[in-house]
Amino acid sequence: MKRITLQLLTVFFIGASVFAQEKITKQGHTNQNKFKQLKDELATPNSQRTASGAPGVNYTQQKVDYIMDIVLDDEHQKITGKETILYHNNSKDELAYLWVQLDQNVRAKNSKSRDIAPNKIPEVINKKWFDRSFPSTPFDGGFNIMSVTNIDGSKLSHTINQTMMRIDLPKPLASGKTFSFKIEWWYNINNHRKDGGRSGFEHFTENNNNNYVIAQFFPRLCVYDNVEGWQNDQFWGRSEFALEFGDYTVNITTPKDHMLGATGVLQNEKEVLTKNELNRLSIARKTYDKPVLIRTQQEATKIEKTKSKETKTWKFIAKNVRDYAFATSRKFIWDAMAVDINGKSVMAYSLYSKEANPLYGEHSTRAVAQTLKTYSKYTFDYPYHKAISVDGQMGMEYPQICFNPGRPEADGTYSDRVKYRMIKVTIHEVGHNFFPMIVNSDERQWTWMDEGLNSYVEMLAELAYDKNFPITRGYPKNIVKYMSGDQSKIAPIMTKGDNVYEFGNNAYGKPATALWILRETIMGHDLFDHAFRTYSQRWMFKHPTPADFFRSMEDASGVDLDWFWRGWFYSTDVNDIGIKSVKKYHTKIVGDNVNFIEDKTEGLGFGAKKGKNSKYHYEITYNKPGGLVMPIIVQFTYTDGSSERKVYPAQIWRYNDKEITKVFSTSKELSKIIIDPNQETADVDTSNNNWPKESKNQFEKFKSKIKG
Amino acid sequence: MKINRSCLILFIIPLLSFSAHKYYLSLTQIEYRSEKKSVQITINVFIDDIETALNRDYNIDLKLHTKKELKDNNVYFLKYLKEKLHFKIDNIPKEFNYIGKEYEGDLVYFYLEIENIKEVNSIEIQNKILTKHFLEQQNLIKYKDGDKHKSILLTAKNDKGLLKH
Repeated sequence: MKRITLQLLTVFFIGASVFAQEKITKQGHTNQNKFKQLKDELATPNSQRTASGAPGVNYTQQKVDYIMDIVLDDEHQKITGKETILYHNNSKDELAYLWVQLDQNVRAKNSKSRDIAPNKIPEVINKKWFDRSFPSTPFDGGFNIMSVTNIDGSKLSHTINQTMMRIDLPKPLASGKTFSFKIEWWYNINNHRKDGGRSGFEHFTENNNNNYVIAQFFPRLCVYDNVEGWQNDQFWGRSEFALEFGDYTVNITTPKDHMLGATGVLQNEKEVLTKNELNRLSIARKTYDKPVLIRTQQEATKIEKTKSKETKTWKFIAKNVRDYAFATSRKFIWDAMAVDINGKSVMAYSLYSKEANPLYGEHSTRAVAQTLKTYSKYTFDYPYHKAISVDGQMGMEYPQICFNPGRPEADGTYSDRVKYRMIKVTIHEVGHNFFPMIVNSDERQWTWMDEGLNSYVEMLAELAYDKNFPITRGYPKNIVKYMSGDQSKIAPIMTKGDNVYEFGNNAYGKPATALWILRETIMGHDLFDHAFRTYSQRWMFKHPTPADFFRSMEDASGVDLDWFWRGWFYSTDVNDIGIKSVKKYHTKIVGDNVNFIEDKTEGLGFGAKKGKNSKYHYEITYNKPGGLVMPIIVQFTYTDGSSERKVYPAQIWRYNDKEITKVFSTSKELSKIIIDPNQETADVDTSNNNWPKESKNQFEKFKSKIKG
Repeated sequence: MKINRSCLILFIIPLLSFSAHKYYLSLTQIEYRSEKKSVQITINVFIDDIETALNRDYNIDLKLHTKKELKDNNVYFLKYLKEKLHFKIDNIPKEFNYIGKEYEGDLVYFYLEIENIKEVNSIEIQNKILTKHFLEQQNLIKYKDGDKHKSILLTAKNDKGLLKH
């Protein structure tokens, strides 16, 4: 009988479905699963970049060496330079032309950067910013290219396109060959305090002095690789740089009374430093516990009162760096201390004017030292001989040297906010020595690859510097405001730097948070640290892409993270997981069967019907209003006051992206269930995170605290 | 480059601003609790921005969240919020009470309340917080009434919005 019914029913349903299909043909769909692998998004692996995320056997990279003579004209705030560039074509390709970056042209009178920035009239504007926005005489910036020549002095054909210059080679440059040529130029240095910028000078009316922090001061070769071809995207002012490694021989001529710091090893210490300074430096090289003053405030204050008419030339050689920068002033105080990086001594230096003291004296060099130690621990041993922090009153990084903000009040006091901001930026900028100065990603294309990774390691260094360091960016809770904001003003992390809406949150905060979550919540310290170190070491002195990072993190840890990259890096989805309902059951054994009997009383407690032998079975339905898939972190609190943490991996959402039901069986009665109690997942709405539902919201909690 | 939210980017061309990453957003969360007849308003803004605005408007030096913090600073916050923030519930202007404020990281939270509201069909909000000094300031408003959610984004040139369901 039963069988006949079943057969009849089957016939009926088949008939019904055939009938329905005649009316509407059901539409199919492509794979929309949030756990779909990233194969369509990531470039196909090849012998230059492997599927494991490592450089392949045919990986090549160009090399560019520079020999430069630079003269600083302090009276007119002008740089004049000549360089001989030696370009090594290590690629398999033949090159008909080379591209050179002319970053200073972003400040030229005819720069188009102004024209692509929409603006409006504000109600009120502070005088300084008014002057910057509506200058009475526009600044006459930009490179003046005086000559581009072959080594023999004959002219070399070239074409300038805004911030880029193409050099047409006399004959194509074959694979494995080198080409050498010369450029001469000069430019007016911008006052970065007045006009902004990533380099420039700061003027002090007292004694009519200037602090110079100089970068992008020479025509620099573009990157040529198998990912972008020539990376000759214009420099609009925001998205930073892509540069090749090479060896630099640089002579910098300054007024004789200047103190200078620069990328590279100083070759003529005895010519440019006093005996006293040399002696103190040799003490500093053996002092690991505190900064040693090489030039004191008293000495610097005396020096800045006069001006030498004579000059001196500082001679440097920098091996295997991707860029070059320097800072110079007669106002600079200099302190130094040695840092032990796994048995190798590295020097931490700071250069600062008296206006930055005592803040810089107390924290700058110590922050540099901490950065080198922490970053070396999580990536690779710092390979250079020094790192300098300069009182540059901005936040900008270059190899072995960076320019940082923060000054005390006139009376020498400073608030915690000024102090921690200065330390934070210093750690961040020194940290950039690792990303992107060594792990050399393409900043023009992918801001997050250096800023995001660096902002993450920065947090570890800050906590090592001061375990109570007030971190305001990087913790999951810090990114909630941004991620839950207006979707029309949010771009995925995987967006070119020039095109993101909120640069700081998009390229710094969100990726730092994403890595923090991977380490703390999804992978654990061991797996994450090993994979992160693997990526860093694989791509030291090379050019990684996002795919190389994503693949390395998975390949070295054995954790499939495609869903995580897809959600956090390729989308603007948010995390919101809640508890929709809880049902309670106890069991009763009847013969061979175990019956589950629902307890329909309110709350999480069980009524009297539950037998002693039955466990407490909770059937919990979790819903997910947010688009991200994330682990469900649940804290179960028992009526006896104890609690237990349970983490369901993100894969629990594979078959249903909206809600899932999961049983929690226990031998003790529950009093409370909380999702993500420690704010680990950037959940944008926590009002659905509690069961029984919280009666008081944030407002009411605050009000009862105030009003009692 | 870096990070910090130090300078005031008004309408500066991007090449001149190395802090273009600073963002200007306040969040105003409004919730109507019918059982309490209360409209609860929670606003968060960046401490340094609100400090800059108040210092300039009232010629004071707040030194917020430091040991030297100006005493009675709530007087200024109340004054500022009363100037910049206006509500109409079902077309009738309503005054709010200032419950207090608390700091969280680089944010300050303000708690305001409109009491004795028996019914809410619509809330009109005008929010001019920080728009005078920060042209790029965006003030996001999120409204919750029971299970219903609404949100609107207000700016200097568009500082009024209507929340209705």
